[in-house]
Amino acid sequence: MSKGVLVDMTKCFGCGACTVACKLWNEKKYDEVNKPTLGEAAQLVDINWTVVSKHDVTDQGGHAAWRFAKKQCLHCVDPACASSCLVGALRKTPEGPVVYHPDLCVGCRYCMVACPFNIPKYEWDKSFPKVSKCQMCFTRVVAGEQPACIAVCPNQVMQFGDRDQLVKTAHQRIAANKGLYIDHLFGETEVGGTAWLYLSDQPFDKLGFKTAVPQESLPAYTWQILSKLPAILLGWTAILSGIYFINKRRNAAAEGKLDRTGGPQA
Amino acid sequence: MRRKGKSFGAGARLGAIEKRARRVGRKRREMARDRSAREIISAEDVDDMETKSNKGLPCSRRFFLKGLGAAGLSGALATLSGCKDAGKPSGGEGWTPQQYNAPGSWPVQVRGRVPIDPANPSIVRDDRKCILCGQCAEACERVQSVEGFYGLPIKNDITCVNCGQCALWCPTGAIGERDDIARVLRVIGDAKLHVIVQTAPATRIAIGEEFGMPAGSIVEGKMVAALKLLGFDRVFDTNFSADLTIMEEGTELIGRIKAAGGQHESEDHGHAPTALPQFTSCSPGWVKFCEYFYPDLLEHMSTCKSPQQMLGSVAKTYYAKKKGIDPKQIVSVSIMPCTAKKFEAARGEMNSAGALAGNPELRDVNFVLTTRELARMIKRKGIDLANLAPQPYDSLMGEGTGAAVIFAATGGVMEAAVRSGYYLLTGQNPPDALLNLTAVRGLQGVKEASLEVPGFGELRVAVASGLGNARQLLDQIRADKQAGLPPRYHFVEFMACPGGCISGGGQPKTSVPPGDWVRKERIRSIYAIDATIYKKRLSHENKEVLDLYAEYLGQPNGELAHRLLHTTYTDRSGSLTAKNKA
Repeated sequence: MSKGVLVDMTKCFGCGACTVACKLWNEKKYDEVNKPTLGEAAQLVDINWTVVSKHDVTDQGGHAAWRFAKKQCLHCVDPACASSCLVGALRKTPEGPVVYHPDLCVGCRYCMVACPFNIPKYEWDKSFPKVSKCQMCFTRVVAGEQPACIAVCPNQVMQFGDRDQLVKTAHQRIAANKGLYIDHLFGETEVGGTAWLYLSDQPFDKLGFKTAVPQESLPAYTWQILSKLPAILLGWTAILSGIYFINKRRNAAAEGKLDRTGGPQA
Repeated sequence: MRRKGKSFGAGARLGAIEKRARRVGRKRREMARDRSAREIISAEDVDDMETKSNKGLPCSRRFFLKGLGAAGLSGALATLSGCKDAGKPSGGEGWTPQQYNAPGSWPVQVRGRVPIDPANPSIVRDDRKCILCGQCAEACERVQSVEGFYGLPIKNDITCVNCGQCALWCPTGAIGERDDIARVLRVIGDAKLHVIVQTAPATRIAIGEEFGMPAGSIVEGKMVAALKLLGFDRVFDTNFSADLTIMEEGTELIGRIKAAGGQHESEDHGHAPTALPQFTSCSPGWVKFCEYFYPDLLEHMSTCKSPQQMLGSVAKTYYAKKKGIDPKQIVSVSIMPCTAKKFEAARGEMNSAGALAGNPELRDVNFVLTTRELARMIKRKGIDLANLAPQPYDSLMGEGTGAAVIFAATGGVMEAAVRSGYYLLTGQNPPDALLNLTAVRGLQGVKEASLEVPGFGELRVAVASGLGNARQLLDQIRADKQAGLPPRYHFVEFMACPGGCISGGGQPKTSVPPGDWVRKERIRSIYAIDATIYKKRLSHENKEVLDLYAEYLGQPNGELAHRLLHTTYTDRSGSLTAKNKA
């Protein structure tokens, strides 16, 4: 069963414990000065697999309010990065996480271009860089545990479970709290669905989410062309070969005629 | 991948040799008819290697070609065998990259942490040290009843009373005070500025711990000597303004009690709060807590500033005037056992001296350092505090009484107020029994006492330290008020930190979690100073305070006193959704 995470952004008070948990579990470096994990300037970079960004919004009562958004790889159901990877270094696992295999990566960075959410990052300051992104604590997930960031959240902002079940839960929660949540589950249909699902009381674009994405899987677009490619190539080869042979025959016949009329053979 | 690449390369090279060999072979067959073929071949196009192999190696042409053919065939087969894995990734499946198989430095227990706004004026956190043990959250919720006592989603504030108890509990030192040492050193180094410093009552019995002395060591004189070595121009004692606070707060209390009894005094400044009980306002963490969670009870809060702010505003008015220094040249630094004091000094309304001088930008207190920061400054300068010869505080604002020093311990403000309140009500000094008001001493969270004051009657007081304990009293007072019952108490002392300032969020951290043993040692020293070291034990006998009134302020709670020594509060309930339970 493919796992997912339901994030309720109304519950987050911005302690950033998840970002520290991520660093501890994955042994990522800290650089709060240049690459902060918390606050307005928080950004996903090679060493920050997850960040909590702060956003100034207006709440339903019309008052100024703060909202915090936990950001990390959304682990698409049908990931464009994995589809674009030439060597299979990025793979969608049956458990849900999209996992990166650094030993296979050739560093082409197609994944970075392919990702609709701009998630994979490159270790630009290393001599032998790799691509870097959230693994959704794959080894924990296959062992039946929840990812590190979820385990540490003091407010239970995130809920880990089967994605299909979480989608149902989320819709029940939206229905039960009409005044609180906006009627949209981010990640349910975006780019064909993502393992991480978000509930919010604010429009998602106000929280730094990329909302202008297709509502269907991106590899599906390329598959429409790529699936026909072998047939097209073979067909085209056959057609060109045919034309070649016909021309050759015709030329030969034409030359023979010329020979007959032009004089005796050498 | 790499091996395959290599074999491809080798194959290509072999192919080239094969081709050339074939070409050569064909030529040889053509030339075989000619007996002198060998000379012609070597002269024409066979390179050195070829010539050599033809001359000496025991390898026939046929054997060589067979070998090449076999190698080519096996290469082709090996390549084709890879086709059975077509579509599968070249690294195989069912494994995860090695570095993700083992957790990194993952602690045994992870329980989250408190949220700290990166712009918090009092405390900061270093994520590199955080182990997510959750003790900060524990202190914030269980001890101070802040985290978990507000609803989610949050409003435009991360609720924090700046008390710093989380910093005290943090076992790795990830949470600490916002470090202002560099800014203080800069002003000390500026010869044009007159830098004064004040030290809170609780610092003198705690800072010794940072220098290897036992808990509760009394190092008042050594600390003053160290401050002078650090380059501060004048060293003043917050005890002075604690005595001043008692004069103001005691007078205010009596005014409230008289108003409750129907006696209205005509106050020319038009500000005479009447609500009973009166709450103390010395602890800025407590004040902010009340503003957040009990704004309906703010009318009970004494309008007196805390001793730190009183000294700050007096320094830039009275002291500046007496010494003939431009208030703009004075930089006021305070050494506090408290992180909330940093927040308090930065509050917008704490600019009375500046407002009086027509320069609202001027802060009453410019910088607040915690006891820990002072210890770091002393260590960096290479001063051995333990071996310094004690020095006295500087005059004008350096005198303090026993009543002031006990501000550091829970119940101390109450006891000091009772001593001078007795005097203000009866005109006589209190009996010896009132000088050791044991009912309000000790680490118990909530304490009550009732005493007979001749000519007045029963004075009922209560003391709470630790905001979780304060909540109990506050809920009771709120319920009484809503039910229209007469006030249970006349005067209630609240301290944000358990045990009072001696265990404040800016005090030296102990190697063990903050416990009652260290608190008791520090409290014992505080009462020892009161009982045996200081000559005076009553705030109204402080000569310098009396001089201040006589020469500058006029009367306690008078017009000028109100402008300089009293303040207003802000209802902060709009920045959170208060909840009664975690």
